[in-house]
Amino acid sequence: MYDYSEFDDAYVRGRVEQFRAQVERRLDGSLTEEEFRPLRLMNGLYLQLHAYMLRVAIPYGTLNSGQMRQLAHIADRWDKGYGHFTTRQNIQYNWPKLRDVPDILEALADVGMHAIQTSGNTVRNVTADHFAGASADEVADPRPYAELLRQWSTDHPEFQFLPRKFKIGVTGAPNDRAVIRSHDIGLEVRRDGAGALGFRVFVGGGLGRTPMVAQELAAFIPERDLLPYVEAILSVYNLLGRRDNKYKARIKIAVHEHGIDTIRALVNEAFAERRALFSGADQALLTDIRAQFKRPDLSPRDIAPFVAARDADPVFRAWADTNLAAHADAGHAIVTISLKPQGATPGDATAAQMRVMADLAERYGHDELRISHEQNVILSHVHRADLPAVHAALKQAGLATANVGLVSDIIACPGMDYCSLATARSIPIAQEIATRFEELKLEHEVGPLKIKISGCINACGHHHVGHIGILGLDRAGVENYQVTLGGDGSETTVIGQRAGPGFSADEIVPAVERLVLAYLDLREDAGETFLQVFRRLGAQPFKDALYPEQAQRRRDAA
Amino acid sequence: MQHDTILGPVAARAEALNDGYRNHAAIAVLRRALSDPAVGRIALVSSFGAESVVLLHMISVLDRSTPVLFIDTQMLFAETLAYQAEVAAQLGLSDVRTIRARPEALAAHDPDRLLHKADTDACCALRKTEPLERALEPFDAWITGRKRFQGQTRSHLDFFENEGDKRLKVNPLAHWRPDDVQDYMINNRLPRHPLVAKGYPSIGCAPCTSRVKDGEDPRAGRWRGQDKEECGIHFVDGKLVRGPVADDRPQEHKEPPMNVIVTDTGFAADDRGEEFQPPEETGAAALDLGSDADVSALIGRLEGVEAIRIAFPAFSDGRGFTMARRLRMMGFTGRLRAAGHVIADQYAMARRAGFDEVEITPELARRQPWEQWQARADWRAHDYQSRLRGAG
Amino acid sequence: MTKAFTPKVVTANALVEGDVIYLTADDRWTRALHEAELIEDEAHAQVRLLDAERQTGEVVGAYLADVRPGPNGPEPVHFREAFRARGPSNYPHGKQTELVDV
Repeated sequence: MYDYSEFDDAYVRGRVEQFRAQVERRLDGSLTEEEFRPLRLMNGLYLQLHAYMLRVAIPYGTLNSGQMRQLAHIADRWDKGYGHFTTRQNIQYNWPKLRDVPDILEALADVGMHAIQTSGNTVRNVTADHFAGASADEVADPRPYAELLRQWSTDHPEFQFLPRKFKIGVTGAPNDRAVIRSHDIGLEVRRDGAGALGFRVFVGGGLGRTPMVAQELAAFIPERDLLPYVEAILSVYNLLGRRDNKYKARIKIAVHEHGIDTIRALVNEAFAERRALFSGADQALLTDIRAQFKRPDLSPRDIAPFVAARDADPVFRAWADTNLAAHADAGHAIVTISLKPQGATPGDATAAQMRVMADLAERYGHDELRISHEQNVILSHVHRADLPAVHAALKQAGLATANVGLVSDIIACPGMDYCSLATARSIPIAQEIATRFEELKLEHEVGPLKIKISGCINACGHHHVGHIGILGLDRAGVENYQVTLGGDGSETTVIGQRAGPGFSADEIVPAVERLVLAYLDLREDAGETFLQVFRRLGAQPFKDALYPEQAQRRRDAA
Repeated sequence: MQHDTILGPVAARAEALNDGYRNHAAIAVLRRALSDPAVGRIALVSSFGAESVVLLHMISVLDRSTPVLFIDTQMLFAETLAYQAEVAAQLGLSDVRTIRARPEALAAHDPDRLLHKADTDACCALRKTEPLERALEPFDAWITGRKRFQGQTRSHLDFFENEGDKRLKVNPLAHWRPDDVQDYMINNRLPRHPLVAKGYPSIGCAPCTSRVKDGEDPRAGRWRGQDKEECGIHFVDGKLVRGPVADDRPQEHKEPPMNVIVTDTGFAADDRGEEFQPPEETGAAALDLGSDADVSALIGRLEGVEAIRIAFPAFSDGRGFTMARRLRMMGFTGRLRAAGHVIADQYAMARRAGFDEVEITPELARRQPWEQWQARADWRAHDYQSRLRGAG
Repeated sequence: MTKAFTPKVVTANALVEGDVIYLTADDRWTRALHEAELIEDEAHAQVRLLDAERQTGEVVGAYLADVRPGPNGPEPVHFREAFRARGPSNYPHGKQTELVDV
């Protein structure tokens, strides 16, 4: 894991003092609200529906136990004793006071963290595969590149006032768990014919009002060209991106308007100019960074305690079957801790739970934790022999829900319960769907199914790439929920199709239930997933389940 | 053009009308102006600004076919244009004439729309005074919304004025106080200019209008920081006055007239002044670039250029940072200046992107004094870029 | 000519705390919607909004919100304003606890 250098530490502390002064200058009138707003946003501070909200970056989703404990401390001391992990691998505090925020930022700096560039029209927190450095299918750990990009984008003088926000996602594995094709720039680490490391580069992805799948800008750029190439893309976007309409300001619209070939030509021209700016210092730094991400020493041990617990305890077995993923080392497992107990708020953890997870990471997990964009917490290297103890501790803390990848492992944005942009609530819908399937005892029978809920068109809940997506809207002063079907956020990214008219808050949960029951009827065997059935049969049988009256009329007419 | 022959000398008519109407309510003045044969052919000149709706409403009640001359300087806020359409429709005004400068005059004198930066008076003359003069040719009189409380130069305003022995000027609201305007707008439920709510109590052209703070003269936001109170269309003592009106206020209350230049060592006066030329100007030693200028067009043309100024129309528009970086990559070593709405918190960014200095208005310099810029003058410290590029 | 005016309150967030606040008839800011000034005249609403917007040192993002008169004072019309007046639905946080505590 990356430890802050003296340089990083001095920088972040300098930023805290800058922000402290900016808060004072806002209060004494030196800064207008219009001027202060982008400055506070550059430090992750929003003004939401009920209060300020502070969004803290967890770069590429990786943190250690000390950092997790500090997040718990902040929740207790300056907030209401909990935090919300987001779909962007960040944590949000929903109730800070403006005057406390500089102190919170200082507490973060104490453990090598910050809230810089988690908002605003700038390069945001760089996200990465949450199984990075651990999964069996990886070409190379993407996090050293993400860390290099973090340092490069931090306070980049040209790119703090872009036309719109800019998101970069990196994966080191061909199986894309980081949804890189829905980022402004998606990077896939790969090797060329000679075995040298480099990147396949995608550009112009994004969800929101105009969802688009990113297009390939370069099939391969060498590792050493990463920064000048990304800088070239940003410099083209900074001048070309539209500033007249915020809904058309993302790079995806520029790519759409000008075409990928024009963008490629402009980027290549800018790259030729920019290449010379990087003398190689970045590569030396990359070497240092990479050394810090070396996989911990995974000593072989007997896995008998795991096998025994698995045979003896059905609860442990159910959890192990759903919440573990294959580690590159067969003696180890990747543990996903579900923050989705049925009926709770997706992604929320109390300070006490954060401390439990920190303790487990320290004791059993080589001091590493990850936050996934699916709003769960991951222990990336746990020896199988330790899993029974880990499970027992999680169970005691209410963290042992065995539902990862299932119906109730729902992604949901904060929605109108907190967000000032939202048009409807998302959290209660997620709570009700999860509770309903718990009652039906169908989750494990149904198998892998991704439900994603957004409370407005900006799609923070990634509804476009949910197998079942739900979008909350305001229809004449009433909450209304639109369903999309067949979305996919993996390496085969597809934007879901809108099913038809929306449903009221009362109707949406039964509608989802009809969809899932229809899937169970339609599948050929238990091995065929919801998405596979959708791809085999198309949307119609699912639409029939959603809108039975129309299906009946169609049958009557036939 | 001879205006005296039919209606008698203008000076005598103005004096007689003032005597009769000094204490009449504004609407009575206006009714008389619209109906009295002594006044002749009359038009209302309106900017559709913050308070214009009062006279427009009176006109709509008395005679909605009265010609209304709307001067579109083509530098107005989009909100003003939208408001103009809304008000005209809502009040049912049937003869609104939009007045603009001749395209050939604009092409000749202000092709890149930057004249206002070099010479506000020339800009007012080009876009406002001359088009209005032409539009007023057929009229014997015009109605304005000027009021005595608006600034020192208007404290002796009468209802009827003799304008250079040429035309009669009618000021129905001359004696109104600010509260009268507000009361009238409220009582008649008149739509408000959308920018008033955003802190602009007096609204002119976008580049020369800024917000006003509580307690400031409402017109303080017009031509802020410039030694200018009236645009060229007004006349003093019957004489045509173009440019600044004499200011008899004590010196210590005067705004510093010039923009402020910020460098690492402090605030300074502008030592280049008006020398910046549009980029089309060949051989110019100092160039002015708009925020949408194509820097590539200067490739091979930087020989002999000593200084370049890049406009920041809003602090949230960061194009200028990349433009500066590109100019430096193209080998430009002369002085590079960021001008416009750049705030103290952006100073380090500007310096790191390649700028040498920042040009700000006196208003911004007052609100964000040197100490706030000095706090970011350590731009070489904590710089990830120089670390990654191997330059630091 | 224009559509009928519906009653309003002036609302904003407090600059320092971030709380949802409402302008009262006697020029205070209150956390309780029912204490807000019910504005039934459009012109008066515009003036009150200007009054609020001028207080840049205390409030952020003032706007006029639709309300209907109730027995104890203004009540929200839109569900967004109902959440602002009450707090989130997943926890008993925000005004729903604060107002009970009083």
